[in-house]
Amino acid sequence: MIKKILIDGMSCASCASNIERSLKKIPGVISAGVSLMTRKAIVEINEKVSDEELKKAVARAGYKAVSIE
Amino acid sequence: MEHHYENLEEREISLWKKKVFWSWAVTIPIILLMYLPSILGIMPFDDKTESVIILFIGFPVIFIFGFSTLKSGFKGFISLYFNMDSLIAMGTVIAYLTGIASLFFAIQNYSGISAMIMTIFVTGKYVESKARGKAGQEIRKLLELGAKKARVLRNNKEMQIPISEIVIGDIIVVKPGEKIPTDGIIIKGESAVDESMVTGESLPIDKTKGDSVIGATINQDGIIYIIAAKIGKDTFLARIIELVETTQSSKIPIQRLADKITAIFVPTVLVLSALTFVGWFIFGNINGAFGASIAVLVISCPCALGLATPIALTVSSGIGAKKGILIRKGEAIQTMKNVKVIVFDKTGTITKGKPEVTNIERSSGIGEREFLEISASLEKLSEHPLSKAIVNYSNLKSYRSVKNFRVLRGRGIEGIISGKKYFIGNKRLLDERKTDIKNFEKKIDEFESDGKTTMILVQEKKIWGLIAVADSIKEDSISALKSLHSKGYYTVMITGDNEKTAQAIAKEVGIKKVIANVLPEDKAEKIKELQSKRGGTFVAFIGDGINDAPALKQANVGIALGTGTDIAIEAGDIVLTKGSLTGVVQSINLSKATFSKIKQNLFWAFAYNVLAIPLAVAGVLHPVFAEIAMALSSITVVTNANLLRNKKI
Repeated sequence: MIKKILIDGMSCASCASNIERSLKKIPGVISAGVSLMTRKAIVEINEKVSDEELKKAVARAGYKAVSIE
Repeated sequence: MEHHYENLEEREISLWKKKVFWSWAVTIPIILLMYLPSILGIMPFDDKTESVIILFIGFPVIFIFGFSTLKSGFKGFISLYFNMDSLIAMGTVIAYLTGIASLFFAIQNYSGISAMIMTIFVTGKYVESKARGKAGQEIRKLLELGAKKARVLRNNKEMQIPISEIVIGDIIVVKPGEKIPTDGIIIKGESAVDESMVTGESLPIDKTKGDSVIGATINQDGIIYIIAAKIGKDTFLARIIELVETTQSSKIPIQRLADKITAIFVPTVLVLSALTFVGWFIFGNINGAFGASIAVLVISCPCALGLATPIALTVSSGIGAKKGILIRKGEAIQTMKNVKVIVFDKTGTITKGKPEVTNIERSSGIGEREFLEISASLEKLSEHPLSKAIVNYSNLKSYRSVKNFRVLRGRGIEGIISGKKYFIGNKRLLDERKTDIKNFEKKIDEFESDGKTTMILVQEKKIWGLIAVADSIKEDSISALKSLHSKGYYTVMITGDNEKTAQAIAKEVGIKKVIANVLPEDKAEKIKELQSKRGGTFVAFIGDGINDAPALKQANVGIALGTGTDIAIEAGDIVLTKGSLTGVVQSINLSKATFSKIKQNLFWAFAYNVLAIPLAVAGVLHPVFAEIAMALSSITVVTNANLLRNKKI
């Protein structure tokens, strides 16, 4: 399953890299790519990962998940 | 579907702009205060008073205009997710604190420098975010392309509704000059439609009843009534946007190293800066220690490294989308440069894929009507493009009923009509069924040498006659192949057709090698064989996304061709929305130009950091110049990516 997270607060490439790292730490996340350009994270997950967990991971790195679709 | 990020982006740019204005408004007096007296040779204040004044006016620059940077930066020290802001926050705050310390100890006051660093940082960010906005302008245009309103017919009344309220099956009226609101099929009227915005096709396309239209394209001269077929996320435009967005987050192998470095960059620089301080403190002096360690913090720029690849990809996919080239997998950009062999599917790729019957040759004693009735009734049940040609040609009002119909893949079809067994197929099928074709051999030869596909209608063992079908080649196939050959590519055509027909077409367009008689399911296998040649050859395959999906996947770079909405966007590494082969040449050019941009960017970003950081450590660079260099490095990378637009694709 692919989830898209719109993220606010990214100011540079290391921010994107931080969020990627944080998302990948969630068990069940297969891959994560964050684009500073679109401000979106595209995360491939298995069914078990909840939106809440994704939001938390974004917050853990210091950013805000605006929406998840 | 909603896209918030353009708002986020606008908000961000306007926020930076405000910060830039106020930061300079405050920093310019600081600069004057710091340097003017020594230039003019006057001393309006003593050192302490001057320090206090600078600390006082510098405060808002660091702690108000720089607040969000400090917040985001220091958060990193708690969460251990450091970012670029962490470096600036450390650099400016330490520099500011030296100002306070200088009131009590005999150390150099860097607080004025601190305000300058923050101001330059903010300015750099503003310029960079504008340049980033420019990089994404084509993609943003794509997002704004959709119509806002639609005029629908409900209960025999025309009414204006927002696009989100359209349901499938709605009848939509589109007047000349209006945007077609969503994907649909024309049920009444005819018009020329400008599809350039989604397919890159510059000439308007004539459409009439039964033709499909794409949402967001422009109806030019007639009133058309369309029935809504796809809405919301399923429309062609929405799928293109989705694809382009997804590509932005995809990774290209070459950026792996840069990504790894970016991930550990900031903590490494923090440590390096601390070591610089200690080193200078022991072997030099405290003032040098502050100067050099602050310079290290603010000169280091993970942004240039981290942005080098994605920014080029953004510009490139924007340029591509405008021309009907959708880069689905960023990796294709890198792989493309290794491609040596380009394999084309024949039908629908080199040719138009709209075959027409050109000749019918009947055995004596078989009436034309009977012949057409039998063949068209059989072909009516098949989906093959050749079948359609025969059905169209026969122009029958009603068809005979067929029993036990069967498709013999890659060979033909068979069925029973009025108790008699018929089959239509190629020579291969007739060989298999041991049917003698002696009397027709010459005619078949003649047709095939003309590039016509020949089918034979047989009842039991008796040949009824031949049907020759020709599929004309696309207007630009010859020029596109010429251009590929001039670039040194080896071209191959792969087809289910027989050798002779295929050779005739290959000769016409100038293809070097033909692999004929290939069953659709074996195409991927043939690609594999080509790949294994000469110890590994990179092969690109060009075909339609529907039947050729396995071959597209097998190839190193799969380019899927389509026209309009009949496109399998999910197949292929690159998708061409306009069916022409010029797109193939363009996508190769675009990939190569993008990849060389990426390489340039990565080189500069690496070189910058490798050269600049040691200079800062050595204390050669004043912190202000360090910050200017940093700001310029990321702006350079983004600007360089934007230059991709000037390339002729």
